[in-house]
Amino acid sequence: MVADLFSDFYQFADVFAFLILSAAGLAIIFGMMGVINLAHGEFIMCGVYVTSAAYHAGLPLPLAQACGAVVAGLIGMLLEVTIIRPLYSRPLDSLLVTWGISLVATQGTLIALGSTFPGIDTPGHSFSVGEYSFSSYRMVLFAASLCVLGFVYVLFMRTRFGVHARATMQNPGMAQALGVRKGIIYAVSFGIGTGLAGLCGALYAPTMNLIPTMGASFLVEAFVTVVVGGANVLLGTGPAAIALGVIRAGLNAWYGQVVGEIGLLIAVVLIIRVLPDGFSGWLTRRTS
Amino acid sequence: MTNLLNGPQTLGRGRAFWSAAAAVLVVALVYPLFVDSYDVGSTAYFLCWVFMALGLCLMWGYNGMMSFGQTFFFGVGGYAYGVIEINLGVANGGAMASLVAALAVTAVAAALLGYFMIYGRIGGMFFGIVTFAVTLALAFFLNQTAGPEWHIGTARLNGFNGMQGMDPLALPWFGGDIDLEGTAFYYFVLVLLIVVYLLLRLLVNSRFGNVLVAIREDPLRAELLGYDVRRYSLVTFVIGSVLGGLSGALYCSWGQFISPSSVGLPAAAMPVVWVAFSGRSDVTATLIGTLLLIAGFQALTIYSEQWALILMGVLLAGTVLIAPDGLIVSLANVVARRRARGGAALKPSLQER
Amino acid sequence: MAALVQTRGVSKSFGGLFAVKDVDLAIEDREIHCLIGPNGAGKSTLFKLIVGTYAPSAGSILFAGADVTKMPAFARVARGMSIKMQAPSVFRALSVRQNLHIALQYHVEAHRIPAEEERLLSLLGLEVDASRPAGELAHGQQQWLEIGMALALRPRLLLLDEPTAGLSPDETFRTGELIQRLNADGATVLVVEHDMAFVRQIATSVTVLHLGQVFARGTIEDIISNRGVEEIYLGSAHDA
Repeated sequence: MVADLFSDFYQFADVFAFLILSAAGLAIIFGMMGVINLAHGEFIMCGVYVTSAAYHAGLPLPLAQACGAVVAGLIGMLLEVTIIRPLYSRPLDSLLVTWGISLVATQGTLIALGSTFPGIDTPGHSFSVGEYSFSSYRMVLFAASLCVLGFVYVLFMRTRFGVHARATMQNPGMAQALGVRKGIIYAVSFGIGTGLAGLCGALYAPTMNLIPTMGASFLVEAFVTVVVGGANVLLGTGPAAIALGVIRAGLNAWYGQVVGEIGLLIAVVLIIRVLPDGFSGWLTRRTS
Repeated sequence: MTNLLNGPQTLGRGRAFWSAAAAVLVVALVYPLFVDSYDVGSTAYFLCWVFMALGLCLMWGYNGMMSFGQTFFFGVGGYAYGVIEINLGVANGGAMASLVAALAVTAVAAALLGYFMIYGRIGGMFFGIVTFAVTLALAFFLNQTAGPEWHIGTARLNGFNGMQGMDPLALPWFGGDIDLEGTAFYYFVLVLLIVVYLLLRLLVNSRFGNVLVAIREDPLRAELLGYDVRRYSLVTFVIGSVLGGLSGALYCSWGQFISPSSVGLPAAAMPVVWVAFSGRSDVTATLIGTLLLIAGFQALTIYSEQWALILMGVLLAGTVLIAPDGLIVSLANVVARRRARGGAALKPSLQER
Repeated sequence: MAALVQTRGVSKSFGGLFAVKDVDLAIEDREIHCLIGPNGAGKSTLFKLIVGTYAPSAGSILFAGADVTKMPAFARVARGMSIKMQAPSVFRALSVRQNLHIALQYHVEAHRIPAEEERLLSLLGLEVDASRPAGELAHGQQQWLEIGMALALRPRLLLLDEPTAGLSPDETFRTGELIQRLNADGATVLVVEHDMAFVRQIATSVTVLHLGQVFARGTIEDIISNRGVEEIYLGSAHDA
């Protein structure tokens, strides 16, 4: 009984962590700047590759993972300053430009590093509850996803940067008039977004085969979580991941991965028919 | 009729344009006489893709719906053609019936997906994101169907190895079907392309087309002029997506093969690159630009597919940054301005304001 | 005879706050009815409820004898409403002529559209600008073009939200004349307006909204001599 319950929870936690970690960076960039970064998958891939390279260069895994996140964040900031910045008034165009960048990054990696890259063995052990056995690293990922949510909350609600960022999000012109430096806020926010994408890759690096196109395998989950969550990361992403996590884990358990993926999508299409602005839009409307 | 062909929503009017078009057509018609049938076949292969680009141009350029799902419908149309044809067999017009049925399947899929998005008032970027997610998910699903349990009738989906074993199209004719392969297939696709192109010109310059551009410019205003914006958009989405399905079915007939890689990345980016590069606001520009890009891409792929894809990525980002209205449309505008000595552009800019 | 438009106990709340509360309004056939009131009185909300871009939280709306409460905006237009919203919203990238064409093709048969276009262009004084993109017109011209598009629908009821916003006094006066001419041709007109001189120029009857409710109604003379109306305007001026 307890074992069954824990097994259900484990399934859910696994999906929830995947949704949160793959979507958090995308959601921050969308929420702050109204831009959907279609190169999101490539920043995840960047996190994976840097982690693996650093790990094989002799760094301990957690440190290598930190490298993955930081490098992705720095590249993101560079990209924001050079290419994305002139496009804030043209969100649809920024979508296309980031898609172009994504193509270049994937194929460039393929040319530079070939179609495979040395992977990392999954750390940690398995543990058992009742007759089932579970991977402890999956629990680490679940904990990490909660930490990411906590980090985002503290960052936006408890720091000076967060106050400036929220002010800029609500009214860029006014915030600037009050002395907030919009350019820095945007560059840092973009960097945090891509850094979280890199972190996602870093955390999943030990669980996957390393190929340059692997970023795409995170995209569907990242997109649907952001679409269902809506524009406000703090209000939307968590609830969206819980709802979608329950749906997905349930379908996975009963009907398998394929139905899970398709069912998730059907659920998303049904949800947006009812809540076009996602959870956060709905919550904002309810409370305003 | 001629008014509709030359209306305000299309570039290329007057005697000069139509004479040039006729000349190109003549070249296209006699071209198979001068090259071997293998080359004719690969030219037909290029032409197959253009329908998908024209469909995207209609949805995105004329109605403002950014659909990243053209390869989704390409896959639906292609797989539907394959599955139905394998089950029906080629005899007694079975292949042609399969093509029609595949388009019907695509239309139903587009109507369903379109209904939920358009009536859910999903617009702008999210329209792109949701269609993109659906496309990636279809590719993911098809990749999982390698096992023998994944079959529809006698057609096995075959997972990432791709489905095969369908017959090419055949045209029912008095005294026996004409197999549409090689040169015959080329002529078939060419005629189809001309018909679709002319019909699209008529459509976008008609009353319907006027409403489409009105919706693109300002959906609320269009509604306040009495137009049921969501119904117009849904119809447009179905037409544009069915053209994607037509590309898929023709492709499947051409190579007697279709695989999930035609649906997922990087294939899904290609129609977006073609249309953005050419200029989404015009069907003629899209037609010309798409053909140029496909031919260029194929030529480069012989040396390195990766570099060809990188070039596509650079072209997409570069076009949007430097000539957001698309290269061919921008060129046409420059020429028009020159001629009119500082007069107005032929095509209004679609840049976001 | 029943009124052309009737709202019965119409309310609209946003997150618990009532922008419009329990409003009964009747607009008689062939009158020019002005809706006035200080800022935040709920004029624009009531306007949008009649137009159909908002759905009421309670109450019902009748137009030409039919209940249109649940009808979307385009279906109300099909029944004879025509609308000019507050901010000018012309199809900016399309030419002035195309803007009119799109409005005209709703009712007018194809072969008569060119003649109608010319008639409207000269009525609006936009002949020379016919092939310019509408987005390049001056603000006042855009307002006029939009009124022209609203007219092109040959409405029974013309709804205008602040038609004189941003216009010069001369343009304002000419807009008033235009509205009166249309009214003489048979259209009923509902105008939301700030400018009292303009209201005095055109209105046959006036409703004053205050805090989302009907404060007073009557002829323009009744309203001008009503001390209460003056007070709510002054009061809101003090608050502001």
